[in-house]
Amino acid sequence: MLLSLLEYWGEQSMNQTDRPIANPIVVLREEFDDWAVLFNPDTADALGTNPVGVAIWKRMDGKKCIEDIVSEIRTNFEDTPDNAFAEIEAFVNVLAENGFVGLELEKR
Amino acid sequence: MAEERTGKSESKKSQVMRAPRNLDIEITARCNLRCRYCYFFNNPAVEYRDLSTDEWLTFFDELGSLGVMSVTLAGGEPFLREDLSILLKGIVRNRMRFSFLSNGILIGDEIAACIASTGRCEYVQVSVDGSCPEIHDSCRGQGSFDGAIRGLRTLQRHQINATVRVTIHRNNVHDLENIAHFLLDELGLPAFGTNAAGYMGTCRVNANDLLLNIEERKEAMATLLRLTAKYPDRISASAGPLAEGRVWRRMEEARVQGQPAFYNGGRLTACGCPSNKISVRADGAIVPCNMLTHITLGQINRDSLTDIWQYNPVLNQLRSRHTIPLTQFEFCAGCPYIPYCTGNCPGLAYALTGQVDHPSPDACLRRFLEAGGSIS
Repeated sequence: MLLSLLEYWGEQSMNQTDRPIANPIVVLREEFDDWAVLFNPDTADALGTNPVGVAIWKRMDGKKCIEDIVSEIRTNFEDTPDNAFAEIEAFVNVLAENGFVGLELEKR
Repeated sequence: MAEERTGKSESKKSQVMRAPRNLDIEITARCNLRCRYCYFFNNPAVEYRDLSTDEWLTFFDELGSLGVMSVTLAGGEPFLREDLSILLKGIVRNRMRFSFLSNGILIGDEIAACIASTGRCEYVQVSVDGSCPEIHDSCRGQGSFDGAIRGLRTLQRHQINATVRVTIHRNNVHDLENIAHFLLDELGLPAFGTNAAGYMGTCRVNANDLLLNIEERKEAMATLLRLTAKYPDRISASAGPLAEGRVWRRMEEARVQGQPAFYNGGRLTACGCPSNKISVRADGAIVPCNMLTHITLGQINRDSLTDIWQYNPVLNQLRSRHTIPLTQFEFCAGCPYIPYCTGNCPGLAYALTGQVDHPSPDACLRRFLEAGGSIS
């Protein structure tokens, strides 16, 4: 699921990591009360997200793996549920399916 | 896990989004036509001058930093800008999409290819007011029909989403059936939109010749409603006879059946534009809407768009227009349609009454019926 941008970025001789990276063309448009819209101007696709989603988005820099992101979310948000990892992974998968996120690549 | 431990969520919650989603930009004050009903020209509130390429590019950078999603480029005639391809690069670089409102005449292969290559064009709307040159050109000038259709075909050839707006006036009200056939069957457009010439700009000078009278409005409404049945989902309107025909029928039905007030009825709830978008005149003045160009909120590249959007008292007053009950207007006294009425376009209300916070007399169902109109 997370590999959908590999072809887009055309990195044929690279290995994918487990570190999600936000598609740089996607706009994070913060709207009301810390909610936001992620908008891909190339496709006109848009996804609404809550403050936790915004926090995840801002951490998808290609340097942190999902476990790192979950750990930071647990630190920064109150009442993080036990299944946070699964929820965040599912969220990242949705973003990946929509071309909003890929995986950082590194040279072999 | 909704509360981030920053204290940020405890700050005062804004009633408007942090920046507009869309902007309507009059990218030039120049036009190659002088249409007889044009709302843009003959407006004493407007300074008709163009900004430089760099001034627009600087502004687009600001829009990009705010997360604005799209801009609609109009004018004047936007394709008169010699630097259009540079401006489009500025829009694309700032992660925005764009649309055009045009008369179509200047759309050639080179600029169409440029537009298509960006992959960011929502649509190019071309004005077509007749099924033949005689009718279209009667208001827009000789040769304008052929140019518009040539432009449309160029857009289609480059697989750009080409749309059409038909402005209805006295010269084309009897041609609507032919127009629909021409646009939908012959040109193969997926759909087109309609509105009507309004009492603004140049049209104020030509109002007696061009604005629909009661009989013509009745005819336009009936014809368009019939055509929408013939071409389902292919003819749209947010103003003009088709929109009025639809809304007024609902209002009359509600009145007859004694239905409760519409959720947006009984107050000046039209329109919601100031909550989603804002406009910029060709001279760089920031205004609430291109129908309210006399209300200058600031100047691009001098004033912060965010500050204007969030804090300008005039803009916020316009946003709170929806709280004004229609019952407070003498104009509406005793009207049985109040629970179902929104007061309609503030721009047209201002043009006709000199007041923004007033229902638009042009969109008044009671007035229409009293003048001999019908909506059956």
